[in-house]
Amino acid sequence: MDFPRILSGNWETPNSHTLPVARSLGVYGRLEKALRMQPTEIVQVVKDSGLRGRGGAGFPTGMKWSFVPGPDKRGGKPVYLLCNADESEPGTFKDRYCMWKDPHLMIEGMIIAAHAIGCKVGYVYIRGEFRYIYDRLWEAVHEARAAGLLGNNILGTGVDFELHIHLGAGAYICGEETALISSLEGFKGQPKLKPPFPAVEGAWRAPTIVNNVETLSAVPWIIEHGAAAYKALGTEKSPGTKLFSCSGHIRKPGVYEVALGYPMKDLIEKECGGLLPGRTMKAVIPGGSSVPIMTPAEVYACTMDYESISTVAGSYLGSGGMIVMDDTTDLVAALANLLRFYAHESCGQCTPCREGCGWMYHILCRVRDNCATAEDLVTLKDLADNIHSKTICFFGASAAMPVQSFLLKFKADFIARIEAASKGIASGTHIAPPSPATVGA
Amino acid sequence: MSSPHDAPVAASRGPVEWPETLLPQVQDILSRYPTKQAAVMPLLWLAQDIWDWLDLDVMRLVARTIEVPPSQVHAVASFYSMFKKAPTGKYLVQVCQTLSCALVGAEGIIKHLEKALDVDAHGNSKDGLFTLLRVECLASCGSAPMMQVNEHFYERLTPETCDQIIAGLRSGKPLSLPRPEVDVWTFPVS
Amino acid sequence: MPKVKINDVEVEVPAGTNMIEAAAKVGVEIPHYCYHPNLSIAGNCRMCLVDIVGGRAPDIACNMQARDGLAIRTDTPAVKKMRQSVMEFLLVNHPLDCPICDQSGECRLQDYYMEHGDYDSRGIEEKVSKKKRQDIGDKIVLDAERCVECSRCVRFGDEVTGTGDLRLMNRGDHTEIGMFPGERLEHHYQGNLADICPVGALTNKDFRFQRRVWYLRETASVCGGCATGCNIQVCHQEGEVFRFLPRRNDAVNKSWMCDHGRDQVPEIAGLKRILRSRVNGAVVDVEAALIALAERLKSAKRVGVVLGSRATNEANWGLLQVVRKNLKSARVFVVGGNDPGSVEYADALLVDADKNPNSAGVALLAAYDGQVETSEALGSAMSDLDVLVVLEDDVLGRLGKSAATLVYLGAFKNKSSEHADVVIPVCHSVEMDGSYINRQGRVQRIRRAVNAAGDSLPAWLVMERLGAKLGSAPGTGMVAAAFNAMAKAVPRMAGMDFKALGEAGLLLAADPSQPEGGDARVETSV
Repeated sequence: MDFPRILSGNWETPNSHTLPVARSLGVYGRLEKALRMQPTEIVQVVKDSGLRGRGGAGFPTGMKWSFVPGPDKRGGKPVYLLCNADESEPGTFKDRYCMWKDPHLMIEGMIIAAHAIGCKVGYVYIRGEFRYIYDRLWEAVHEARAAGLLGNNILGTGVDFELHIHLGAGAYICGEETALISSLEGFKGQPKLKPPFPAVEGAWRAPTIVNNVETLSAVPWIIEHGAAAYKALGTEKSPGTKLFSCSGHIRKPGVYEVALGYPMKDLIEKECGGLLPGRTMKAVIPGGSSVPIMTPAEVYACTMDYESISTVAGSYLGSGGMIVMDDTTDLVAALANLLRFYAHESCGQCTPCREGCGWMYHILCRVRDNCATAEDLVTLKDLADNIHSKTICFFGASAAMPVQSFLLKFKADFIARIEAASKGIASGTHIAPPSPATVGA
Repeated sequence: MSSPHDAPVAASRGPVEWPETLLPQVQDILSRYPTKQAAVMPLLWLAQDIWDWLDLDVMRLVARTIEVPPSQVHAVASFYSMFKKAPTGKYLVQVCQTLSCALVGAEGIIKHLEKALDVDAHGNSKDGLFTLLRVECLASCGSAPMMQVNEHFYERLTPETCDQIIAGLRSGKPLSLPRPEVDVWTFPVS
Repeated sequence: MPKVKINDVEVEVPAGTNMIEAAAKVGVEIPHYCYHPNLSIAGNCRMCLVDIVGGRAPDIACNMQARDGLAIRTDTPAVKKMRQSVMEFLLVNHPLDCPICDQSGECRLQDYYMEHGDYDSRGIEEKVSKKKRQDIGDKIVLDAERCVECSRCVRFGDEVTGTGDLRLMNRGDHTEIGMFPGERLEHHYQGNLADICPVGALTNKDFRFQRRVWYLRETASVCGGCATGCNIQVCHQEGEVFRFLPRRNDAVNKSWMCDHGRDQVPEIAGLKRILRSRVNGAVVDVEAALIALAERLKSAKRVGVVLGSRATNEANWGLLQVVRKNLKSARVFVVGGNDPGSVEYADALLVDADKNPNSAGVALLAAYDGQVETSEALGSAMSDLDVLVVLEDDVLGRLGKSAATLVYLGAFKNKSSEHADVVIPVCHSVEMDGSYINRQGRVQRIRRAVNAAGDSLPAWLVMERLGAKLGSAPGTGMVAAAFNAMAKAVPRMAGMDFKALGEAGLLLAADPSQPEGGDARVETSV
């Protein structure tokens, strides 16, 4: 397959993060054209391109932008553009490279998006652990500002846009857009009730658009080449290219940009170099740790796009964080590992998620340690069902879906532990045998 | 290993004020947001840079600066895992233990580091140089197993590279070297 | 107004009404922890999840605003299961404190468990432990383990008192309610925290372990602590009052009251109550005291009478009638200000600087009578008076002087009662029926909750009996008749009826002497 590397094309060029190099690679080359377009025109182009949010939800970006009330309907309130760079979904590490290697592309995308929605001040919310990237983003902002690419009257077009970088401090939930807004406003990063939706009433109660780094980074290319060119890539309902973060038991873990609709099997076997010698596939989590797990049969039948993963495997493309697990993996321990994560990261707001994640984790520890009974599995399934879609935000479902799908698709692994427990067999402690050899190509 | 991030705030060091030289930075931070409240996280970061960890007096200072009750700052500080509510060693070694890292041997790395750093139940080494912590996903899954020492990512760890890193830190080598670089591996041209 | 359906029952509610309130209108209770009608919507307890007819997913009723055609169901198996599961989640880390927890009987965990939970426990994991028995304020003890993290107290601090003191710290199942370490609650509304806490996390120091709540009876009344007139429930058992709780009246006090108001409870049966009548220091029965009083009034040339800003409308009406019918030459006064020793504090919420519950009622009567004189007039007339009759107000304490003969009719000992020649005990506000008019001009009922202490009589009845002894009684044999007689006479009370005052009270008609919109009513700012 042949397709342009819209997002990662500049990554191999040395010093691509600096303004002169970035400009030599064409970054900011689309800016003036975009800023001379009418905002509604840009929204229409992005709508027509079919670009969908790359943070995980896959919501059509152009449509999201169109929800912002017009200047006469905002009651004098500003509009805020927030770039979600909280990248915290386990298995996802693409935005880190976008920002590390090509921060100016993201900034260019933000300026265009800001113009489209009538925003004058934007923020990049970057997770606290990326502090070295935070420094780099500020450098990029200062460079761009000095070159007249940020600030007032950008490139003489009369468009103003100021950009600030905001550093998170370690909370998975801040990747959820309303939690991100709470956090930016200076509160605990807890999701807010919807309605009102952020596009109408978000940060500081003003209309707010939250877009993922990758989403914004795709915008300049769409402006340059047009909606049709973007739509020609990928599939009918999932146009364009996407970055896939690939990790786990593969020979060449890393970030790969492919057009959507790319066979999952090829991604694993070609780009990722396949599994380690002598290993067979046990399972794959296709879109970040929150989405339902897939069996090898599902993997081989799937293409990497929103519809296929959903229809074939009942899972989601999510953030594109693919975690491959081979036959050495203890899936019970793997699920316990994930639930520890969710128990640690639940914001503590809604009852089911706050109390349920820890409870599920404790049950899973007992299953893992061969100390559980068949009733525990029933309880586990029940708890997951009682959390899923009963909470303010999607976090509850994110914690529940792994439990539900592991139990559904790999029930035998769990039953085996219950049987072992009834026979008094001690358990191992590792998710997979320690094997540093798996690392690297 | 219990986390200093979850520990209750134990002590206070007496009233503090922003250093004179940093007042412009405080003002700059405040100027970025439409409300003072929004400056709480950047100010907590600044305070943590100055005083290493956030005690009650530091929180009071931040609360005064943004004109909110100190409880509000305390709640924010307690919510985020990277705000330190207790002192740590000079090097805070945080090893990712979430799935992608766990699949490729994070547990072995942690066990190795526990031994190599000779840490107590709280993760502190006897020389006060290191605090070892288990943390959740740091978005470096493709270069697992990995750890973060202060701000710096060390990736694709093996027991041997861990030993080298520790030896380097013990000998006072700066933390500048292995920042994450995609350059270190080849991206296949699709 | 939109029409909505709850379990197929249609009801019309004002736009913006949430579905918990809409359901309550048709008698359907939707259980909830975090929702409170006088606080912002948090939506975090998830107890009020309901099914939306034709909807894809359940949603919370508290954040669901009535709109035409909206139909919800609260009686489906799915809703039942959701409630049960929320109960299970809430209790999985809840300590087994019930036998020693004073919230028993008014604990929403207990109550809802019986109604909506009732499952077999399967929580065998170790519970998360948190800080217990924390002394966080003069009135409040905090047990963080019992907290259900509903955030009501947090929102109260943010939205009502503006003190922002209580916070939910940490996250996940380690979320813990608490104060900034070392700080204490500093406001005068602490009791409300115990009231709004749906569980035993915040309890009232004054009330805890005093009485199991299921023994208590509640009588709807009005606080006599200041001119605000917060609506309250008097909680009592067998003649003893154990606490005041605020009673919701959005026009007056919403769901709140101040701590000073609650502090009156121990005074009801306290050492400062006047229990017996006295004449020249000797204890006599009420009849003898009334006879002595009548004799003094008859023989006096110059009589002064002070209307009671702490007394009911009915008592003041009776007193005015007694004077105008029998003592033609007597002068009637109103003495403003507070009794010495009353709390100085006032704020913009509920606590009024005027510590008298019925100043507005007295002012209204004074305006009606037209001959009532001021405090200053009394001050200069004092030396000329032979007898001064005082109802409730500590005139001697306030003015520092008195007439040759002082008569005190009141519930509490004070400087006036100490120096009075005749003392007659009258009922505390919890011991009688009547009405006050608050600072907004709202006429509100107080109701008899407990028997009178000692020989106390309702003040209006004292007036009735005194009038009879002087020749002409006010002729209002019952308290309602006293009120209705006053309402008939006073134009601004036109059309009011004692029974029709109801639970929420009625506003006086606008004062014609005040310019349009310049009515001296104070809107409560809570």
